[in-house]
Amino acid sequence: MTSTLTIEGLRVEVAGKEVLKGFDLFMRTGEVHVIMGPNGSGKSTLAHALTGHPGYTVLSGSVRLDDVELLNLSPTERARHGLLLAMQQPLEVPGVRPFDLLVAAGVDPTNLRQRMRDEADRVELRPEVLDRFVNVDLSGGERKRAEIVQFGLLRPKFAVLDEIDSGLDVDALGAVARRLSLASGEWECGILAITHFKRLLQELTPTRIHVLSEGRVVATGGPELSEILERDGYEPFRVTSA
Amino acid sequence: MKGAQYTAWVPISMKIFADSAAAFIAERPDAASRQRAWGAFELAGLPTTNDEVWRYAPLKDFVLDRFDVPGEPTTRSDSAFAAQLCERAGLVVRVVDGFCVSTGAALEGVEVAVVESSQSLAGPSFIERYESDTFAVLNAALTPATTVIRVGAGVNVEEPIVVLNVSNSTASFSRTQIELGRGASATIVEYFEGGADALVVPLSEYQLGDNASLQLITYQRLDQSAWHVARTTGFVSRDARLRQAVVGIGAHYNRSRNDAEMRGAGSENELRTTFLGSGDQVHDFRTHQMHTGARSRSTLLSKGAVADQSRSVYTGLIEIEKGAKRTDARQTNHNLLLSPRAHADSVPNLDIRENDVMCAHASSVGPLDELQRWYLESRGVGREDAERLMIQGFFYEMLANLPPELAELVERDVTSVLATVNVVTP
Repeated sequence: MTSTLTIEGLRVEVAGKEVLKGFDLFMRTGEVHVIMGPNGSGKSTLAHALTGHPGYTVLSGSVRLDDVELLNLSPTERARHGLLLAMQQPLEVPGVRPFDLLVAAGVDPTNLRQRMRDEADRVELRPEVLDRFVNVDLSGGERKRAEIVQFGLLRPKFAVLDEIDSGLDVDALGAVARRLSLASGEWECGILAITHFKRLLQELTPTRIHVLSEGRVVATGGPELSEILERDGYEPFRVTSA
Repeated sequence: MKGAQYTAWVPISMKIFADSAAAFIAERPDAASRQRAWGAFELAGLPTTNDEVWRYAPLKDFVLDRFDVPGEPTTRSDSAFAAQLCERAGLVVRVVDGFCVSTGAALEGVEVAVVESSQSLAGPSFIERYESDTFAVLNAALTPATTVIRVGAGVNVEEPIVVLNVSNSTASFSRTQIELGRGASATIVEYFEGGADALVVPLSEYQLGDNASLQLITYQRLDQSAWHVARTTGFVSRDARLRQAVVGIGAHYNRSRNDAEMRGAGSENELRTTFLGSGDQVHDFRTHQMHTGARSRSTLLSKGAVADQSRSVYTGLIEIEKGAKRTDARQTNHNLLLSPRAHADSVPNLDIRENDVMCAHASSVGPLDELQRWYLESRGVGREDAERLMIQGFFYEMLANLPPELAELVERDVTSVLATVNVVTP
């Protein structure tokens, strides 16, 4: 069954400064949307605000998964409704193992260790890394892949991937992108990928590309948008506050 | 504890205990040196909460005459947990009521002996070495014997050695000395159980030869009514590594003092302590890292949680002697309050007599890390489960150096205890 994610007029403040200034987006499960934009345009703020990070204050707006207003829900409830963030810099949680995290998050423990190994294989992650505490003593690239392992087992309706491509070499990026692409077929996952690299777009076929500047979407289009960005950079899309 | 001072009236309250101690000492081959230790104990008397180092102890509940020094070990079968622990060991040394009752099956390169000795591994006699510590002096008088475990030079003991300490009677004074020869390595688990209404006073010393490596776990699971007053000291030679984890769960009063002396250049001590307080327990952790060797390192991490009306105190001293150049010493203490009636004190201290050093300490009393909790919640873990996982994680971290099959066993045990504790975070 197709679900929808509707973001309307989202305004978010970080450390007293408004970073997102009225963000809009609509997508369905099974689609791949990519958000591109220069540093400081609000990309990571969007990702954190969607999942209820304690350092981000929503000033106004609405984020609905189907008809459910997510902004009224706790981070746990948002995740349980089917929204997952794969972080740019996944946090270390000392003393907590991925297996225990997944079981506590509601993943069926039957055969789970084997399923974790299978997911690790798909993103070329050494499975023994998953015996360690969550993200502790993992390299940047391993953390990214470990996030994708969680993604494969939590099977969210919508996954927000915050710069999943940074810190990955070309081969690893290919493996991660293939895993993500297959997810849209396996459980009709919707993918919202935040990036400022074009590389990810070559691997993931985006339905729509959105250009973010100064906290707002300033252009939306098909893959051709990325050609323009490649050629001219973000300059043509820059909006200056009047 | 404010507003009330308690004084123990030694001569009146010690009759039963003193008689049993006298009978015990009379039977021992080295009665004279034990008698000296007993004399020193009588002279000093029991500590009172006027003593700074005892001010957090619930000494008003302490009545020495409730304890009776046993003349021989009593027998009782091990707990299911102890049995499982032993199954996973390469060598099991069994100590009951302070008496070593089994030195275990032979293990190549490892010698286990029971000796009548009053010498500390530091050199002087126990009485001289520990004269300012009343309970260590009691141990000097009343330990049945010293259990010595020696790992030969260059020997790498693959399987863990378990020292199983069981207290069935009301008083036990075990003493253990572990010596690793030059370049030797081993993993040793000291486990404590039993101790209902008992006084348990273990004293351990660890000596590491040059370049030796000892992984040590002390797991204390005594009955909630026990008085546990433990002391360990490590002596670390050149380029040797002592990695010690001390986990305290049981006892009414759990006092655990863990010292290390970095004597050799490049010696290293990693000490992790953790505890879980519930009911009206008091956890009293004390550490003293003494650096005399140049380029020596110590890393100390103490993490604990107190629930119900339990309380904890952490007092740690890092001491760096003149000449211990380029020493790196770090001390971190995190305490977590799980109930509004629980209380934690943290007293870190530095005493540095050398300029060319790196030294840092940090301590905090507060709730769980908000961002880590958010990370777990953002995966769909409920708040209470997230907090339980994180608290459980304090203990799992301590066990990270254990072989996996052993760590798993202890983790399950810790988890079963945690399931019974009330977690109320602010």
